[in-house]
Amino acid sequence: MVQSKKQKYMFLAFCLVPTFILFSIFTLYPLFSGLYYSFFDWSGSSSNKEFIGFANYIKLFKDAIIPDTIMHDYFLVVTKILGIMVLAMFFAVALTQLKIKEAPFYRIVFFFPNIMSVVVIGILWTFIYNPSLGLVNSGLEFLGLEGWAKPWLGDEKWALPSIVLPAVWAGIGLFMLMLMGGIANISKSYYEAARIDGASEWQQFWKITLPLVWPQVKVSILYIVITTLNGSFILVQVMTGGGPNNSTHVMGSYLYQQAFKQYNFGYGATIGVMILVLSLITVLFIQFLMRREKVEY
Amino acid sequence: MKRSVGQILGRTGIRIPLILWTIAVLYPIFWMFLGSFKSNAEIYRNPWGMPETFNFANFGQAWTNYNIDISVFNSLLITLLGAVLTLVLAIPTAYAIERMNFRGSKVLFTIYISAMMIPMVLGWIPLFFLLDDLNLLDNIFGLAIVYAVSQLPFSIFVLTSFMSTIPKSLEESAAIDGLSPYGILFKIVTPLSMSGIITVTIMNCIQFWNEYFMALIFLQTKTNYTLALAIDYISNEAQYTNAWGTLFASLVIAIVPVIILYGIFQRRIAKGMTEGAIKG
Repeated sequence: MVQSKKQKYMFLAFCLVPTFILFSIFTLYPLFSGLYYSFFDWSGSSSNKEFIGFANYIKLFKDAIIPDTIMHDYFLVVTKILGIMVLAMFFAVALTQLKIKEAPFYRIVFFFPNIMSVVVIGILWTFIYNPSLGLVNSGLEFLGLEGWAKPWLGDEKWALPSIVLPAVWAGIGLFMLMLMGGIANISKSYYEAARIDGASEWQQFWKITLPLVWPQVKVSILYIVITTLNGSFILVQVMTGGGPNNSTHVMGSYLYQQAFKQYNFGYGATIGVMILVLSLITVLFIQFLMRREKVEY
Repeated sequence: MKRSVGQILGRTGIRIPLILWTIAVLYPIFWMFLGSFKSNAEIYRNPWGMPETFNFANFGQAWTNYNIDISVFNSLLITLLGAVLTLVLAIPTAYAIERMNFRGSKVLFTIYISAMMIPMVLGWIPLFFLLDDLNLLDNIFGLAIVYAVSQLPFSIFVLTSFMSTIPKSLEESAAIDGLSPYGILFKIVTPLSMSGIITVTIMNCIQFWNEYFMALIFLQTKTNYTLALAIDYISNEAQYTNAWGTLFASLVIAIVPVIILYGIFQRRIAKGMTEGAIKG
């Protein structure tokens, strides 16, 4: 290609610089100054921003609500992983291994909630849990189990588990497709050989399918962990706002409350740093836990 | 091979959970549509059945009492502006990272990609004050810029992988014919990556149309509300006014465009999302 060095650099700059400037202003700068703000006592106006060193972090360790929010986040992480992976794996195997004619229909339907707005999902499910009109309580009544009916989202014990269901409902489709992609790549000959050797379908699943889709399982679990720790507060915010009596607050919704409702911006940033650190540790821990030699047959 | 009775039973049995989950997915959505045609009295009397008549009063209510029209307009504007801006920013960068050999290209790509895994909540507090300083707080254009930048990592990721499939020889022969690098980017590479561009744009549009939390933080005045905020507002009001019908109508307004896009681009959307997730 005939072009001078200068022209090449001009073109590179044209391609890269504007994008990177905007990315730096609206993504990198906020993240780093979030770290910086966590050392200040700050209610929003520039006059009363006061450097207080690690005082926010000390407050964080003494705050009785913080351990609850962490527990709630990890409760959601664990229950979502279990709920989504078991169901997604079951559906993925059913739709790929067993010759079901209407499989594309199920695939299209199961995926749809993945692209619904969290607001729509949250409000829809709030209504499903509605104590007097909701589907859950009406269903229990219909089955003659009136005793089990309760104001689900208004019950300190049941509110958080009630949030798991819409999260699983909305998440399954994507992970089912990811697993289906993995299963489709497994050579049919393995299953034929296993069948000739007399292996049951159950054995085939444990010995062939699961080891060979392990990379997809791993990516799915990591993705659930990241999206839950970074985003579960949105559903919480729509459905309960952290209540009743803080019983559903997760780290993100508590940050929102501290920073944007009570104007403790410095302390909010400290909670943000905690979310960042915890999600990095969790991702590394899971990668360590799920390391497994690549299986090839 | 003859199928045993057990296998046939197994085939039928496997459909039961599939059908149950289909109902679990479709019924709430279906019921939301039914609810939007019911009066409030009817919702209390018969919350889960068919409406007695199909009347559109709830949609009118949402339109006039809650200014849904303004919110729909705001959401459309933000979605389109955000999607266009994302493309303007992402296409040249994706091309340079994928095709131009320059020092630091790998590092730059890694920076963009790692941003997909970082919790942005931490950044929202400083972003709030930054937008305030730039006079972009409570401003639709400000939010569109924030949205566009937030989708840059995903868009660059998908676009680079699409561009890597374009044969290099096309660019080389265009360069020999005397086309400038700008010409190659806009007249050769961009049209050839159209499939990737469409996928990215659809994903971004759905994302922006649905987004709630950044809008909640960065918009304050009701006339600036996006649809998600308007729905949230109606929902909170409904706790006291019990205007459930209006709430359902607004949910329907929010979901219909997504259903239409999904109906047309179902394969692209599913593929785009799974590829975006498999980056680890």
